[in-house]
Amino acid sequence: MIKLNVNGQTREVDVDPATPILWVVRENLEMTGTKFGCGIAQCGACTVHLDGKPVRSCSTPISAADGKAIATIEGIAGEDGTLHRVQQAWIEAQVPQCGYCQSGQIMSATALLQKNPNPTDAQIDAAMAGNVCRCGMYGRIRAAIKAAAGQPATGEKAV
Amino acid sequence: MSKTETGSPGKMGKWTRRAFIGAGVVAGSALVVGVAVRPGNPIDRLSPMLADGKDEQLLNAWVKVDADNIVTAVIPHVEMGQGVYTALAQMLADEMDADWNKVQILEAPADKQYVSDSIGRDFLFPDLEVPALFEPTVAGGILELAQAMGLQFTGGSYSVRATGQRAMRTAGAAAREMLVAAAASEWQVPAGEITTADSMILHAGSGKAEPFSKFALAAAEQSLPAKPTLKSPENYKIMGQSKARHDIPGKVDGSAIFGIDANVPGMKYAAVKAAPVVGATVESMDATTARTMPGVLQILNMGDFVAVVADGYWQAQQALNSIDTKYSKTEGDSLDQEALFARYATHLDEAGENGGDVETEEGDVGKGFAEAVTKVEAEYKVPFLAHATMEPMNCTAWVRDGKCDVWSGHQAPVNARQAAADAAGLAFEDVTYHNAFLGGGFGRRSESDNIIMATRIAKATGYPVKMIWSREEDTAQDHYRPSATSRFQGGLDKDGKAVSWSNIHTHLFDPKDAPTVPYYNIASHKIRKVDVPTQLRFGPWRSVDHSQHGFFIESFVDEMAHAAGKDGYAFRRELLAGSPRHLKVLDTAAKMSGWGSALPERHGRGIAFVPSFGSIVAQVAEVDMSGPKPKVTKVYVAADPGFVINPDGFTAQMESAIVYGLTAALYGEISIKNGEVQQSNFHDYPMLRINEMPEVEVALINGDHKRLGGGGEPGLPPIAPAVTNAIFAATGTRVRELPLSKHSFA
Amino acid sequence: MKTLRSLACLAPILLAACGADPAPGPVEQIIVREAGAKTAAPAPAAATGDAAGALIAEGKAAFANCSACHAVAKDAPNGAGPNLFAIVDQPAGQVAGFAYSDALKASGITWTAAELDGFIADPSAKIPGTTMITGAIADAATRQAVIAYLESITAN
Repeated sequence: MIKLNVNGQTREVDVDPATPILWVVRENLEMTGTKFGCGIAQCGACTVHLDGKPVRSCSTPISAADGKAIATIEGIAGEDGTLHRVQQAWIEAQVPQCGYCQSGQIMSATALLQKNPNPTDAQIDAAMAGNVCRCGMYGRIRAAIKAAAGQPATGEKAV
Repeated sequence: MSKTETGSPGKMGKWTRRAFIGAGVVAGSALVVGVAVRPGNPIDRLSPMLADGKDEQLLNAWVKVDADNIVTAVIPHVEMGQGVYTALAQMLADEMDADWNKVQILEAPADKQYVSDSIGRDFLFPDLEVPALFEPTVAGGILELAQAMGLQFTGGSYSVRATGQRAMRTAGAAAREMLVAAAASEWQVPAGEITTADSMILHAGSGKAEPFSKFALAAAEQSLPAKPTLKSPENYKIMGQSKARHDIPGKVDGSAIFGIDANVPGMKYAAVKAAPVVGATVESMDATTARTMPGVLQILNMGDFVAVVADGYWQAQQALNSIDTKYSKTEGDSLDQEALFARYATHLDEAGENGGDVETEEGDVGKGFAEAVTKVEAEYKVPFLAHATMEPMNCTAWVRDGKCDVWSGHQAPVNARQAAADAAGLAFEDVTYHNAFLGGGFGRRSESDNIIMATRIAKATGYPVKMIWSREEDTAQDHYRPSATSRFQGGLDKDGKAVSWSNIHTHLFDPKDAPTVPYYNIASHKIRKVDVPTQLRFGPWRSVDHSQHGFFIESFVDEMAHAAGKDGYAFRRELLAGSPRHLKVLDTAAKMSGWGSALPERHGRGIAFVPSFGSIVAQVAEVDMSGPKPKVTKVYVAADPGFVINPDGFTAQMESAIVYGLTAALYGEISIKNGEVQQSNFHDYPMLRINEMPEVEVALINGDHKRLGGGGEPGLPPIAPAVTNAIFAATGTRVRELPLSKHSFA
Repeated sequence: MKTLRSLACLAPILLAACGADPAPGPVEQIIVREAGAKTAAPAPAAATGDAAGALIAEGKAAFANCSACHAVAKDAPNGAGPNLFAIVDQPAGQVAGFAYSDALKASGITWTAAELDGFIADPSAKIPGTTMITGAIADAATRQAVIAYLESITAN
């Protein structure tokens, strides 16, 4: 049994410690918001937070989460269900198209804003270049991050 | 199973069998209006296809009004990010005068009565003008054909222009007229005195005002109007508005369910690897290591592919990686990229001046070319392209007790259901197909190979199996946009005007008009093709043949302009003289870009103009060639799709198509060596990323509200030639072969 | 009569859609375990049973995680990472055809077992600027097994 802290809750799973976090979250914990894209940390669709830092869960073994907090897309809204300001900005800017990469985009964006509340274009590019969007909504992603940066923090909880 | 039964929370759900019954969506308890045919239809050949008179009053139900005054729009298309749920609901709700805040959206189930007969109409009879959908003979005949072909299909940028324009609006208007008729009868006032607004029925004279729902049952008794009156644009209230997309909230909180998220109790996971050369079979597999690996349940040699079924996907994939597989030899083993292009050249050479299949011909190109003062010739090449949807191909299937359930995201759910039935050896009726959101479609999810594979695995195991392709498998086993070669000869007269245009190119799939230039005023033109086997499987790729012909045609037009000593914009203006609608689009893009104004050293502007899928699009790209590789800094887009139903949604489609096309122009290449695809993942099949994203500015033009064009694809064809024409302007280097990553511009 | 002509053209398409053969079943079906049955005890890692063989086998299984990026077969193409055939004791940054980061090329490291161990434990701490941004193995025993496996892949 491996003991995990996922979105603030303690969970136990019986898996090979080498199993990537992605598959533990999706299959063992049945939280499917985190997506499989490439399996080699090239596309960012699987991004989750490990102690607040964005990691590619497809290539990070669950053993690396020992003693650390995992946050997924399902866990970033407030306790009362109020969406995170990044999620709200995403709706406002009508960012997603097919939507498949967006969990990862949002997790990268929330980690960026936590570290850097007012990122420049270059800083946004640097933080978000690991996240591929095949529908090409990069312009909207950039706009939404800037909009969220200018917003007061709402619906946010420490992750 | 519950997880796949419902879509995202809020106003939208998936219409699965359970939801269908659970929601009480049955004719008789509510008004349901569709636009196809009813039981009792006098056309003999239609009656056998109608439901046997149970609860269903109407086939193709596209709208329902229920007791709490909610209007439900049933969408016979799938959502893959193009915003179709919202745009089609807007069209229906506007005609109905529904309150937009009380409109729900359901995706139609994969049943044959939901086939998109309006798509059938445009695919099969593009020139046929049918004023009213209720015109029974024609509509019915097409319905029959469409059913036979399984056209519950989302693609070809057809949803708004065909289903929306011909079906959703008609259904909304018909429902409104039936509600008004019911109210007129109850209130004993002339129908002409009744108005409707925000899901209310109003009579000014008496001050009466009731919700739609009050008359829903009575309206269902009214006869269906033969030709409901559609609004003219000045009365649109919801069409033309940037309504927020219904599918977005579920896509920002992780709750949206894609095919890969299917959750069936007791399901296991499969990883697969197909023979790397098309047509090869598995000769032997050594699973000595795999059978000892943790979680492994079964190892299957399916003849054309190997599958490992395990407790988890990762376990299955690890075990699969350890299997040593030998494949049969095929003729294709020796095929390389260069050999294929050489084969194209041979066929084109053999066709010579007059061979090949003539697609269009007007005037005498031989004479035109002979008499031309200036002659231009060029050959262009493009490679195979993979779709690389973010969601790798996948499918969950469960075959047991003579029944089959299948979960996936497919552009043609009826086809998927039929494919599963064939693979399981069951009747269509014994298969339930559950469609989910598509993590990118782009044409890839119109194929059913994943459905067939998963069904075969599930049939062999007997328990539910979720098959997921690795990215490597997704890249190497795609149905590709074909590689192609195209050759041109053009003639210019003494004034530098184009007088002859001759083109011969390899293959033609769809749309058939992709290689043609009827909008350009050139005295003689002849366009031919030669069919050359390509070995790799063909698949429609966003904008299909327009994706290569847009590049070929607009590059050559630019070369002719240069040869004529003219500016690319001015040259195209001459070719479009007499077509004010086309000119307006071209002029708008040029004006936005500040065409003609000075740019820094090694910067350039390029223009391209491609009408496709009923929409007219012009783009101007700006490139910065001062660095080691091309940087596209800005793209100006002018688009006229007739009438824009949802401006923000249409704009997003333009942005998206530009990125998809620009990714291909910069990097996209699937190459073959020894018969195998050489690319495997995003490191060797790279994607455009946020740091390379140009600014995109879009202007929309409503040029003809009666003939709508598509939105998903027409933004793509102009981007590659706009960029390569800009590179020519900046550097003097003409790019005749994509992708740009093959070229050095130092 | 445009309509009729169109219909005639369609006939082959419609016929082709009919009467599809059921898809073939498995040529070979190895049932390791019934669904629902408990996982069998892990098989002995190596037939010979010697400790070195077991360690290599464990390393091979663990390397599956690395194989998404690294090939190990002789002359196999580089992936997102370089081919690691006979990599042990070779100078860093020398695999033909791989586009190394400047940092790795300039590292001056020779891939001894010890150097590999440090690198795999935390690549960007060992060589800041490396493009290997993933794949670190935190568990020391697993690292040893992977290195033993890499050592076993040699030209001999």
